[in-house]
Amino acid sequence: MRITSRSRLRRTIRFILFSLGAVAVGAVLLAWSGLYNVAASRGHWTVTNYFLEFGMRNSVRTHALGIDVPQLDSDDLSTLGAAHFQSGCAFCHGAPGLPISPIAQSMLPSPPDLSRAAPEWRDRELFWIVKNGIKYTGMPAWVTAQRDDEVWAVVAFLRRLPALDAAAYRDLALGGMAAAPQSGREIATSGAVSACTRCHGENRRGTNSRLVPILHGQPIGFLMAALEDYAHARRPSGIMQPLANELSPENRAHVARYYAGLTPPAEPKPPMDPKSVERGRMLATRGDPAARIPACVDCHNASSLEVFPRLAGQHAAYMANRLRLWRNGLTSQSSTDAIMAPIAQSLNAQQIDDVSAYFSSVDDLVSGKQN
Amino acid sequence: MMRAQSCGGILAASLLLGGCGRDVQSAMAPKGIQAGQIAELAWLLFGFGTFVLAIVIAAMCLAIGGSSRTRWMLAQENTVIALGIAFPAVTLTLLLCYAVWLMRSDLDMARDRNAIGIEVVGEQWWWRVTYSGPDGTQIASANEIRIPAGMPVAFKLKAADVIHSFWVPSLGGKVDMIPGRTTHLRLIAERPGIYRGQCAEYCGGPHALMAIEVMAVPASDYAAWLERAAAPAATPKSEIGLRGQSVFLASGCGACHVVRGTAAAGTLGPDLTHIGARRSVGIDTMPLSRENLLRFITDGQHVKPGNLMPEFRILQPHERDALATYLLSLKVTEQDG
Repeated sequence: MRITSRSRLRRTIRFILFSLGAVAVGAVLLAWSGLYNVAASRGHWTVTNYFLEFGMRNSVRTHALGIDVPQLDSDDLSTLGAAHFQSGCAFCHGAPGLPISPIAQSMLPSPPDLSRAAPEWRDRELFWIVKNGIKYTGMPAWVTAQRDDEVWAVVAFLRRLPALDAAAYRDLALGGMAAAPQSGREIATSGAVSACTRCHGENRRGTNSRLVPILHGQPIGFLMAALEDYAHARRPSGIMQPLANELSPENRAHVARYYAGLTPPAEPKPPMDPKSVERGRMLATRGDPAARIPACVDCHNASSLEVFPRLAGQHAAYMANRLRLWRNGLTSQSSTDAIMAPIAQSLNAQQIDDVSAYFSSVDDLVSGKQN
Repeated sequence: MMRAQSCGGILAASLLLGGCGRDVQSAMAPKGIQAGQIAELAWLLFGFGTFVLAIVIAAMCLAIGGSSRTRWMLAQENTVIALGIAFPAVTLTLLLCYAVWLMRSDLDMARDRNAIGIEVVGEQWWWRVTYSGPDGTQIASANEIRIPAGMPVAFKLKAADVIHSFWVPSLGGKVDMIPGRTTHLRLIAERPGIYRGQCAEYCGGPHALMAIEVMAVPASDYAAWLERAAAPAATPKSEIGLRGQSVFLASGCGACHVVRGTAAAGTLGPDLTHIGARRSVGIDTMPLSRENLLRFITDGQHVKPGNLMPEFRILQPHERDALATYLLSLKVTEQDG
């Protein structure tokens, strides 16, 4: 009795091992023979389709567990996301008034229209998909793993997308831009290249979002250095890297000259706490020696090196976001970041808000220290 | 044969003294009164320790191979009391008294009133040095200390961040620098010369590169040097020097560094008013030269990993050139180098 059951067990194990081996050999033979058809034109069987989609949805749901969703209800976030959607996503996913490209439609699987597909997902799941992409679908990952703030901007936009018609979308993503092609302005505004102005504005118009830096009147040296850093992937950004990468060195110089020559349009500033501005002023002009923070204005004044940005009048939201990125340990190969990152890491959360409020509140910084 | 023997002797000696290196930094080669006392005491203790060791070995040999009478004597309670309790108690007391007597002058803090006062603050990872001028003015400097030979110098030692320890072995003992406290050290360098010291308490990353040079100059030269050191930096005479100065200010160097006489007034990092007169760059990491200065400014994290100065790789070649010329021109006078 005992012996029989043991030998039966042994036979079963042998059978399973043999079957597994046969399946493996069969798979190799199938791949080797080339009989399996990888054509995107052929599509999947319905059952395969169902199974793949089932697996994908569950994978996203599981991996998105535990992601904390920040406040997404902000125009600054959704306009920034919209402008990036236009250059980064619309080609495959389409947009209101902008049909999905027939080329993209011929992918397998064909990219979904997000005004219908996005509401099926939770915020954290959309974030996970935009950040990580999806294997075997053609959905790419975000260009850098370090800029969750940018990914959230896209999620914030996707939440608004279903309610947008063509006109509202154009307004949000393109900011009602209309510019006659000429020199640097042409490159900056031409959809064929990348449209810097969608976010950064142009002659008469400021930025589309307070999370986007005002480039009007910045030194050419700073603008060039930033574009070079983005183009060579030294400074991480899923929005700026692809755009700067598309520009030739000459065009980068054209764009830099264009923005350097602009004066920032007068825009109403968000209300700021005067106490915070005053604390920011003390920090910016005197530093905080005990915390090893040097005075900001020693590098960020009107007569500093061209490679340093001028901060007077810059958006507080942009500055605070950038300082927080450094503080949270952004790793960057940029040589200007090498100077600023350790300083930003010495700032505490309140100092970041204060100093951003201060710089955005001033109109002009004279050279040297203000006391 | 003689030759081989002397070669062997030199080899053995160099192996033994390998750790000492240049005798500008050796407690075994004292160049100051305090270091001399320490060395004297060290030799005495070493000699006495050898003597005690000889007694112990002799007693052990007798206990193993001595006659039965000797072994009987060794086993007596009185022997144990005499050699194990009375002998150490007496000799150690004598040694302690001698050491206190030898070092008595260092315990007398009142004598510091006549001494030249220099404040040294240990920072991660450099030394903030402040001299007191004859009229009581504070003269800031960094990373090198100049003292008059043959005169007592009273160091006030402080720490800005973590515990450091100030130790110039050729001149004296080590004294900790403790945040929130002031410790004192009195040194006299017998002769003019350069004596190297080091932070002797692990203080983080580049601790090993936190060295210092103490330069003892003839007492007659010291007052004149101090007067020159108190002077602000001269305005550069050359055109390239002037450009270097504007690069220095426009790059924000003044946010952390002081150059007296200019707008640069940051106190986070070492005072650079007379950096051109220093012997080294990066706190004795490399000898001062145009090339090394630029290496420290643009590639400092390789030269001295972990140091708190960001790398200024942003500087263009012509800016680097002008900056180096300017910094090297920052010295008290020509003869001061």
